[in-house]
Amino acid sequence: MTRRQRGGWRRTRCLSVLLAALLPLAIVTPPPALGEPAPVLRIGNAGEPATLDPHRYNLRLEETILTDLFLGLTTFDAHANVVPGAAERWQVSDDGLTWTFRLRDGLAWSDGTPLTAHDFVYSLRRLLDPATAASLAYFLYPLKNAAAVNAGEKPVTELGVHAPDDATLVLTLEKPYPYLPERLLYPTGYPVPRHVIERVGDAWVEPEHWVSNGAYVLEDWQPQASVTLRRNPRFADSGLPPAHVERVVYLPLASEQNAYNRYRAGDVHAIASFPAGQLDAVRDALPEHLRLSPLLSIMYLVFDTRRPPFDDARVREALALAIDRETLTDTVQRAGNVPSASFVPSLVSGYEPVPEPHAGLPGPERMARARALLEAAGYGPGNPLEITLRYISGTEQKRTSLAIAAFWQQLGVRTRLHQAELKVHFSDLRQGNFQVAIAGWFGESNPEHYLGLLKSDTGDVNYGGYRNPEFDAQMNRAAAVADLATRNRLLRDAEAIGIADFPVVPLYSVTVRRLVHPDLAGWYDNPRDAHPARFLHWR
Amino acid sequence: MIRFLLHRFALSLVTFWVIVTAVFFLLRLAPGGPFDGERRLPPEVEANLRAAYHLDEPLPQQYLRYLRMLASGDLGPSFEQKDFSVNELVARGAPVSLLVGGLALGLALVTGLAFGIVAGTRPDGAADRLLMGIANVGLALPSIVLAPLAVLVFAVWLRWLPAGGIGSPAHFVLPAIALALPFAAAIARLTRGGVADTLTEPHVRTARAKGLSSTRTLVWHVLPLGLQPVLSFLGPAAATLLTGSVVIEQVFDLPGIGRYFVQAALNRDYTLVMGVVVVYAALILVFNLLVDLAYARLDPRIRTAPE
Repeated sequence: MTRRQRGGWRRTRCLSVLLAALLPLAIVTPPPALGEPAPVLRIGNAGEPATLDPHRYNLRLEETILTDLFLGLTTFDAHANVVPGAAERWQVSDDGLTWTFRLRDGLAWSDGTPLTAHDFVYSLRRLLDPATAASLAYFLYPLKNAAAVNAGEKPVTELGVHAPDDATLVLTLEKPYPYLPERLLYPTGYPVPRHVIERVGDAWVEPEHWVSNGAYVLEDWQPQASVTLRRNPRFADSGLPPAHVERVVYLPLASEQNAYNRYRAGDVHAIASFPAGQLDAVRDALPEHLRLSPLLSIMYLVFDTRRPPFDDARVREALALAIDRETLTDTVQRAGNVPSASFVPSLVSGYEPVPEPHAGLPGPERMARARALLEAAGYGPGNPLEITLRYISGTEQKRTSLAIAAFWQQLGVRTRLHQAELKVHFSDLRQGNFQVAIAGWFGESNPEHYLGLLKSDTGDVNYGGYRNPEFDAQMNRAAAVADLATRNRLLRDAEAIGIADFPVVPLYSVTVRRLVHPDLAGWYDNPRDAHPARFLHWR
Repeated sequence: MIRFLLHRFALSLVTFWVIVTAVFFLLRLAPGGPFDGERRLPPEVEANLRAAYHLDEPLPQQYLRYLRMLASGDLGPSFEQKDFSVNELVARGAPVSLLVGGLALGLALVTGLAFGIVAGTRPDGAADRLLMGIANVGLALPSIVLAPLAVLVFAVWLRWLPAGGIGSPAHFVLPAIALALPFAAAIARLTRGGVADTLTEPHVRTARAKGLSSTRTLVWHVLPLGLQPVLSFLGPAAATLLTGSVVIEQVFDLPGIGRYFVQAALNRDYTLVMGVVVVYAALILVFNLLVDLAYARLDPRIRTAPE
């Protein structure tokens, strides 16, 4: 080639390289201002809400948003205690069956329409109407005739709710239920705007039709991208303190890793969780951002008590004895979870849970006892126990299951691990298609919420089909009592009966690992992990 | 030509029906259902839900109902996303997927062609070795490794670009680059090979001998022949890119339809999975049809051959 030719090729080459280099530059614009106090609060939520209709919701991450959008008869304070909400006060009849709520003066929907007790009547009927197909309708089955109405056996007008006047709401119960104020915290008990629903139907949940009675209203919803709330100026009409921050954006950050990245990139002011493996790194680098807070919850092992080998209580007890819960949470998981020796979480208020019979026994004695029990049940080196442990796909559950299998191996038990995604896992459990499995139960500060799982008439969430008439009888005795202290005492007796049969092995209570911007005030750790946006403000 | 077109179109329709049918029944074969969760669902509540979504009907009836809906352009209600219809979800997600895919396609073409031409005009030179080395790395690095790495470096450490989500043009830079890279690398290699081979052809030497400038020779005599392998690669590649990448949308929290695919499948959201499959299948079939037409245009044997 001649010199001229070479130069020619080089020019062409330079041009192409320049073009390739310029293209990405052309679309780069500066990133948005990051991590500064702003009139818009950006909060990472655990995923995308499936609905913002409080009667059709199903997930905790939807509760988070709905709590900002609506105000129920009762509500949270900043520390997630149960306090009066739309109801100013209430009275309970001596038999515990009639609850009379007096509504606040000046209650209004965000469009200015007055909100009355009749709105609550309409809303509770809508929740339990079979046509609504509310998956959590059973939350309000304590109401008189609620189950029958929901099954289509009685008209909605038979539901135990009526309004003698605009400011008075009377709820009639099937049986005494002293936990009602807490149960009314859930979105299932929220009022929905009848005057809008009757006009636009299912489209009432769209931003352009949106009307609600909470501290915020829905401004915009981009599926998989963001839910934007705007402060409801009418909220203060009821005398409750209004929200501080004008706009709140909830971002669906289902992946803990993505949430962690976006928090560190300064894109969000708080996130719902980050990967457990990063806990030590966060403790070092972002100590003032870290919020570790135990959640009202119990993770447990459940045995299929209907079939061998776990129809034998000795086998269940032996396997329970072999699991060292402190080692599990502190050495294996290292995610801040709290070991639990009782099925009812220790965070449940006003109740002292009953630990397993051998909770205080030192390790070597536990193992000796476990070996003796297994031997008595007919298992030993010549005839080892072989079982399958089921767990939900995911790193943390996998480590937990491996550790449990290792504990059991010390007894000569051979454990096969079987993982499945969440839907399949619980579908298998509900059909009794398992031997022993990891399960979890979250939610209320109410011992019955947990112990109810062991009642023989509970249905398929009593996954293991545990049946003890004595336990059932004690639970039923408690359910008839209106006085909370007496009721809790009876429930304690029931728990003692149940836990001695080892239908389940309590493992630990989940700890929520959040990152929250240190300049964000009004954020208090609490066992419900509820942080209504109306209490948040910048320091 | 018309007959060829009609034939291909009919074949595409049949393929489409087979895909829809297979996915419809496979979904129902998967264990677990849309209403299996950890929370208790009393039988009466589950019955209410099943009736609301026509899941209480026999399967053949559900299938015919779905085909009827599909024929009228209705993808049905989503089981999980109760406040949106599948049509609405797809209508909002598809533009994001198509935008990222389109940007990535453009980026892959520009960088791939540039690298390939530079390397191909001086085969075995230093530039060739360097650029093809880079291209090999690009080919070997899957998006699932590259994308999180890019987030860590450019979003978390340097804070030059957002870590995920949408809202500004900057949000699309990292996803487009991460999605484009393997394709850019493939295009670079194909271009380099094509250009290097064509440069040795007699007609190129003749063109140069007649005094044509290097740029003109390249544009008019080298590229038309040298880029043919790239063209045949572009059909399937464009379909893959434009239907978005499930991985890229997950890593960058992009609200495209790829994310629905994964989540809806896990949630057993039958109608949403079907909706995304319908859109993907339609797009891929359209691209295949276009590629077939392009081939037919280039090669008369294809359009006249007896079937």
